[in-house]
Amino acid sequence: MSTLLEVKQLHKTYRKQAGLFRQRSVVALDDISFSLDSGKTLAIVGETGSGKSTLAKMLVGIEKPDHGEILLEGTKVQISHFRQYNHVIRFIFQDAAKSLNPHQKIGQMLDDVLRYSTKQDTEQRRYKIRTVLKQVGLLDEHSEYYPHMFSGGQLQRVALARALILDPKLLILDEALTALDPSLRAQIVNLLLELQKTSGLAYLLITNHLRLVKHIADDLLVLHHGKMLDYGTTAHVFANASHDYSRKLINSAQA
Amino acid sequence: MLLLDIKNLTIELKTSDALIRAVDRVNLSLREGEIRGLVGESGSGKSLIAKAIVGVLNKRWQITADRFNWRGQDLLNLPYEQQRKIIGRDIAMIYQEPSRSLDPTAAILEQLEEAIPDNLLDGPWWKRSYLRRRKAIALLHKVGVRDHQSVLQSYPYQLSEGVCQKIMIAMAIAKNPKLLIADEPTTTLESTTQAQLFRLLASFNQLKGMSVLLISHELESIARYTQSLSVLYCGQLVEAGETAAIIKQPYHPYTHALIKSVPEFQPDLQPKTPLYALPGSIPVLQHLPIGCRLGPRCPNARKECVKTPALDRLQNHYYSCHFPLIGNKDT
Repeated sequence: MSTLLEVKQLHKTYRKQAGLFRQRSVVALDDISFSLDSGKTLAIVGETGSGKSTLAKMLVGIEKPDHGEILLEGTKVQISHFRQYNHVIRFIFQDAAKSLNPHQKIGQMLDDVLRYSTKQDTEQRRYKIRTVLKQVGLLDEHSEYYPHMFSGGQLQRVALARALILDPKLLILDEALTALDPSLRAQIVNLLLELQKTSGLAYLLITNHLRLVKHIADDLLVLHHGKMLDYGTTAHVFANASHDYSRKLINSAQA
Repeated sequence: MLLLDIKNLTIELKTSDALIRAVDRVNLSLREGEIRGLVGESGSGKSLIAKAIVGVLNKRWQITADRFNWRGQDLLNLPYEQQRKIIGRDIAMIYQEPSRSLDPTAAILEQLEEAIPDNLLDGPWWKRSYLRRRKAIALLHKVGVRDHQSVLQSYPYQLSEGVCQKIMIAMAIAKNPKLLIADEPTTTLESTTQAQLFRLLASFNQLKGMSVLLISHELESIARYTQSLSVLYCGQLVEAGETAAIIKQPYHPYTHALIKSVPEFQPDLQPKTPLYALPGSIPVLQHLPIGCRLGPRCPNARKECVKTPALDRLQNHYYSCHFPLIGNKDT
């Protein structure tokens, strides 16, 4: 498998005004490096404030790193050129119901994504929308629906469709599975696993849910206060975590 | 003696054209000092049952039950004042989303002091306010907040979700309740805090004999801490009994699916293999299927399933299914 994404020594510090002249700096990420092969899943776990969302935001270009590089298939990514790679990395948010526009039909929403990011004509776009809806297990007529007409699990599928419609290579799931009900979660997990098998998608899973991580992730990265504590294959980290914090985290999921 | 004994609890919503039955004849009982889990997906009526027990549902909901006994007294038939008095004395509840359930305009100290009833402060009246403050600090220590000074002066938005949750628990145990209802106490928390919280509830259960009704949609997280379990699906009770027995051998297809969909309960499941999942999703309240509400999604549904199955029992294990999974261990 080829290396899809490589992150080298990423740093990010936020500066806050603490007084008239003084500044306080908060280190959000400190020396993060990892790599992700296509067709693999990397899970990033850590508590709130550990910098996992900052990391995700930097990968999709919402935030700019202080220094360090992000390599996508061997070429260095420049944040200002995010149009070049927003096809490749797609983002799914935590709450599908809140991240979809309630005024737009699903078909319209998917069409917008294609219109802004590709040069396809109407017929091609319509065809693409139909295939992607089928891919995530929805029907053609669902493109005429508004978001409120879907149930929770279906909405997550819609969010997935919106991410998949540009044929990405990497999908970032920011707590996208946490809020789902168990039986729906199993459905979505199955769908994700199947997509990975058929199209070689890579996932970056940002989550708190360690039990799920154990099942679906190949690699695991434990973040704590912006620092990488443990990084390795999931089985390895679960068996011998080197830091107290990661051990505590893993024990809390197993005990 | 049973602490709480509910038989055929039905909760209906009055709408302009019809009555919608959100909770359909659910039985629930709790012994003293027991931790019972109530599991179900969103929209299965778990929170409704909890709110019905505490009596905070508004007038649009119609509650009926064959038996609704709290320590031998029928709560539903009591006059309103008396009912409030008993519930206020004996039952405490922790709501979902602690940071939203706390009063955003008052400091924690004020809210916590308000929750302490007068009769628990033994001392002359002029020492009351001092004692009350001491008690509030002691409560915070009990739930594991060490830095009481800064927490007491803070407002809810200044505190993390985990600390807010602990404060909710402190407020709930302030009156030494007989029963604590915890409605999804861990959904917003992180996994390390979750474990801490469950240990806290377990220790109160052991030290004070407080019964706990633990409501959650995640079976795996509460299975470890509960002695008995009730599983709800769409307002119907599908299975109830000892937790260990249910996990070992579920009789109802829904419980079976719930257990199988969790990788943790499947030790020999290879990573990255598909999980067991029921097709479809939970029906909405406006379009409930008749009979067994799992019917359209159930893998072994047959013609008889259009009739609501009665609650059967096998030893201490209750289930409501026409075709229970008994005797075929391999499925």
